[in-house]
Amino acid sequence: MIYEEIDLIEKSLKAKNLEEYEIYLVKKEIYETMFLKSEPEIEREIEDFEYFIRTLTQKGDKTGIGVLKGNSLDLKDLEKNIDTCILISKSNLSSIYHFPEEKSIPKITTADNVLIKDPIGSKNDLCEELISEVKEQREVVPTFGRLRLHIKNNYLRNSNGVNLNSTKTFFYLEFSLKAQEQGKLSEYWNVEYINEKEHFDFKNRVANWAKLARDTLKAEPPIPNNDAIVIFPPNVLREAIIPVIGFHTLGQAFSEKLSAYNINDEVVSEEITIIDDGLLKGGLSSNPWDGEGNPHQKTEVIKKGIFQNRLFDQKYALLEEKESTGNGIRGVSGSVINGVSNFQILPGIVSLSDMISDIKEGYYIEKFSWLNPEMLSGFFGAEIRHGYYIKDGEFQNPLKLGNVSGNILEMMKNCIAISKEVEFSENACFPYMAFSNLNVSS
Amino acid sequence: MSEKSFDDIFSAFEEISNNYKRENQYFDILYDSESSVIITKTRTSENIIANAKKTGIVARTFTGTWKETTTTDFADIKKITKKLPKVSNMGKDLIEFEGWSLNKEIKPKINPLGVPIDEKVQKIRDIYDYASKFDERIINAQVRYMERFTERIFFNNEGCQLRQVIPRSILYIIPIAKEGSIADYDYYVDSGEIGFEIFDKINNKKLDEICQKSLDMLKAELPPSGKYPVILDPSMTGVVAHESFGHGLEADQVIRERSYLKHHLNKKVASDICTICDSPAIEHPVGSYFFDDEGIKAGKNVLVENGVLKNFIYDRRTASILNATPQGNGRRESFAHPIHPRMTNTYFEPGDYTLDEMIKEIKYGVLLIHSYFGMEDPLGGAMQNTAKKGYLIENGEKTKVLKAVTLSGRVLEVLPKIDAISNDPTKFGGGTCGKGSEDHIPVGDGGSYTRIKEALVSPG
Repeated sequence: MIYEEIDLIEKSLKAKNLEEYEIYLVKKEIYETMFLKSEPEIEREIEDFEYFIRTLTQKGDKTGIGVLKGNSLDLKDLEKNIDTCILISKSNLSSIYHFPEEKSIPKITTADNVLIKDPIGSKNDLCEELISEVKEQREVVPTFGRLRLHIKNNYLRNSNGVNLNSTKTFFYLEFSLKAQEQGKLSEYWNVEYINEKEHFDFKNRVANWAKLARDTLKAEPPIPNNDAIVIFPPNVLREAIIPVIGFHTLGQAFSEKLSAYNINDEVVSEEITIIDDGLLKGGLSSNPWDGEGNPHQKTEVIKKGIFQNRLFDQKYALLEEKESTGNGIRGVSGSVINGVSNFQILPGIVSLSDMISDIKEGYYIEKFSWLNPEMLSGFFGAEIRHGYYIKDGEFQNPLKLGNVSGNILEMMKNCIAISKEVEFSENACFPYMAFSNLNVSS
Repeated sequence: MSEKSFDDIFSAFEEISNNYKRENQYFDILYDSESSVIITKTRTSENIIANAKKTGIVARTFTGTWKETTTTDFADIKKITKKLPKVSNMGKDLIEFEGWSLNKEIKPKINPLGVPIDEKVQKIRDIYDYASKFDERIINAQVRYMERFTERIFFNNEGCQLRQVIPRSILYIIPIAKEGSIADYDYYVDSGEIGFEIFDKINNKKLDEICQKSLDMLKAELPPSGKYPVILDPSMTGVVAHESFGHGLEADQVIRERSYLKHHLNKKVASDICTICDSPAIEHPVGSYFFDDEGIKAGKNVLVENGVLKNFIYDRRTASILNATPQGNGRRESFAHPIHPRMTNTYFEPGDYTLDEMIKEIKYGVLLIHSYFGMEDPLGGAMQNTAKKGYLIENGEKTKVLKAVTLSGRVLEVLPKIDAISNDPTKFGGGTCGKGSEDHIPVGDGGSYTRIKEALVSPG
């Protein structure tokens, strides 16, 4: 059925005698249960369909790119949409661009067939498992939650003979557990995308939420320190590293004169090696091909502190006379954006518990309100939502409120320890890392 | 989905709705269509993207819990009746409202649909060229323009037959300055339920000012860390309203027993001079409309009046449970996203101070400029608000320019410390708001200058 839709769009494009065109079609199914406390409150079954058409108009050393998003397959609407796309490509003036040629695409598994065969049953089983674990917890109660299964089918066809499809399954999990004692309230509010069913590990996950909610009842603001040692877990590091370090490694940032990184410069502590891997098993952004049909690959970005390779999509690869590294991300509006796929930081040699034991005075930050660092300068300052004060190698009182601030670009030069444990957090597979010279205010 | 007239849509919706009698269960159905043009220019890229009316339909019914289903194919619309169950005698589980009819479009002063694409692109190129040639230290500039039309057609089994078309435009100008190893920027943003007239405020003098502000950031110092008197500009006042008594008052958090404000209704929660409102019924800010995504008419909601908590923010379901009157706050991002009680335009009413008076009375403090982002803490009662830049205030004068500043703390400790609000008319800004990190909708927020006797600030 889906190929009939692509054929229909392609037929309309060919009728316009276009030499360079691309069709990107997305079919989504979403199955969601939203909870009020521990009871289902909303059941949602969502179907969504959209296509993106890109057409090119070559203008010497420049290219006009037209991008159009739509979902009507009515022939008159299609013709109108294609005319709009052509009009845009005539108005647009971009650097030289051609669609990728047909290439060998790696084979990886990105979808769970059990989920595809029985999405509602699978989602309901997970909901039951989740609520069952929640009910096991002491001294905490659920307030709300959402568990959602996504099934996403992507199809790409271009005028160079590229004809690809892929299916991806993944989840969204949001849940809040509340603790209450003598009028004091606290919660742990979990929000994350999860790539694989096996990553849920509800038993440990829910127990950890409950502990954080209970501990936060006793939380205090941190003791101010303008030369603090702070440990961050993988989920916080993802929010810190991908927007900033990721940005400075992009071909686009280099071409735009915004990258702080030069090839072969020492840009982070020598213990740090960062890999971009669009094929990483378990990574949320794993797919055989990128958003414009180039094969995903594994690229060593930073090796032992030294910047090795930039990440290119097709456009910036052509601009800098390089090969694409498969780092074209299809944005929700239909354009292709140069971005990281999955970032991986290689593990260190110490255990997390040894890392904590080695700290005389410091802080462990489990979660910020919203880290959101500034990608160009790397500066950040965020309120502590959950954390612990470390004294003489042990966790002391839990922390809440107060801010941690610093600069991600500088912080990565001040890494003092990397754990041997690594964990997935969406499109990151990171260890725990400790940094010196951060500012804690209260 | 192919284009249909709204008469065809109403007719099809009525046929489906007839399967669900109101005395048995509540039912509604919404047609959602969005068209947009986005133009972005930077040093190495120029992107023009058109969304040619992406449409979808979402239908739902309440049978003790909500059941919701969607389609993007009008021909498939009848399958809705197979997906949504029919029940008996559950109509009273949700308060019934009187049905009403409306068919209204907001007409912008200059309709973007009447402006050729070449003219739009040239505007963006001219701004980019001017900014990038302003000073050799401006190494790049990002100019981004977006026009969007949202059409929503709503029908329910209470007799609502509603249609609205809302235009929204937004313009960002971000000149990026670099000197040595320091790179930074300030930015200009304008938004509203307006059209191509968004460019009327942009001339060479304005662009000079925007570029100079980015260059000034090259000399910006890190802000101090600790508790100081602070003054918030109107955009920061707006984001504090949004994160403090906006998210914390969304009534779904009340029924979840997740709002730290649940037991504070009719109690003092802020200083006497604080009046905070939410209203989708104001002309021009991006959070305005005539009816929400549940067919409830847009109204004004006084949340905090003279420092006393007066109201929560309701959708149909929470209004039913809490026996309250909704003011049109049931909103969804699109047909593919769920409804929650959400803010619209949230703002502080003006006070009687002047900005000069506020500054003169501070020996050492910080002025926070240009809201950047914020985050709520519905149960913990805290908030985090970050400004793109600031100024140090020393001995009653604005002195050094500062890099990004984060303000944080417990709402019920910070807002009682507001001791002055300026008499400037309420100024609205606009952006998008997520419920947590999901379901992004257009919202406005605003106010005038606001002074807090003492609040925690740090580099942001």
